Amino acid sequence: MLVTLPYEMPELITSAPLDIHRSTVLPEWVDWNGHMNLAFYVTAFDQASGAFMRNVGLGRRYVDGKLGMTFVLETHVTYDREMKGGAPMRFTTQLLGHDAKRVHLFHEMFHAEQDYLAATNETIIMNIDYATRRSGPWPVQAAERLEPIWAAHRALPRPAKAGRVMGLSKGPSLRSG
Amino acid sequence: MIDLDLSAPFDLHRATVLPDWIDWNGHMNVGYYVVAFDKATDTLCQQFGVGYEYTRDKIGMTFVLEAHVTYDREVKEGDPLRITTQILDHDAKRLHYIHEMHHATEGYLAATNELMLMNIDYASRRAAPWPDFAMERIEKMAAAHATLPIPEQAGRLIRIRKN
Repeated sequence: MLVTLPYEMPELITSAPLDIHRSTVLPEWVDWNGHMNLAFYVTAFDQASGAFMRNVGLGRRYVDGKLGMTFVLETHVTYDREMKGGAPMRFTTQLLGHDAKRVHLFHEMFHAEQDYLAATNETIIMNIDYATRRSGPWPVQAAERLEPIWAAHRALPRPAKAGRVMGLSKGPSLRSG
Repeated sequence: MIDLDLSAPFDLHRATVLPDWIDWNGHMNVGYYVVAFDKATDTLCQQFGVGYEYTRDKIGMTFVLEAHVTYDREVKEGDPLRITTQILDHDAKRLHYIHEMHHATEGYLAATNELMLMNIDYASRRAAPWPDFAMERIEKMAAAHATLPIPEQAGRLIRIRKN
């Protein structure tokens, strides 16, 4: 298991939720409906996951140094309102849980000027050993940085849109029906 | 309108992983799985007459309300993809379905994408009932898929799973 990471760590941000990632809807993300295509919400959220992981100490240098990678296992998006090309985005990120090799994140995407909620994304990210491309425990230094983040985030209320199961709201669910 | 394909599951869509879809981890990026799945949704919507022409001719649009993706195995640049689709449920203006992405030659499951799609009125950009021509076709396909087992990836909630 990797203990220390051979590059300088950024200053740890423990504010809850994490509220640092900003971006803009690119023209090539807009589809024939004249709004950001659903896939690029996932791309935009993935960049917000990247901002969270950089804070943990696992950014681009972690991959470029052939130390490890982080893979998304599963993701759930709610599309709450349209975003047009050029729209500024603000993301907040809440750590919902973690274990020895995974984090469970919840992102919210807001229109940065009009302030409406555009989408949410709940996601599970796993640490990957670079050589084997299989799951492995977080580097010790990263696990240590997760703890104060978790201490701050665990006090937040659980978001209403977390833990959703998809279905038409009428009648019984697929499995009980 | 094209002939309705009632094979169960719907098994028409094929694609190839493009160079632009690869990220610094050397595999298809999470966002581009959804790009690939969205093109399979286009193939599905053509079956119902609510594909590209439906929007180009300013009749209506279809918006995704919610999406769930499981990333089951990596795919690399140039890999051939086969995407199958199963209708899970529908109502007057929504369609609930799941895509499965397979490596087309090796056969393994690469990912799944469960979606809730809604019909949209072109002028108001608000929810509206499916047009009759679409509803008739949706009902036929839903009936053809009704006896398929529900995939284990459908109806999942996100959590850290003990293994």
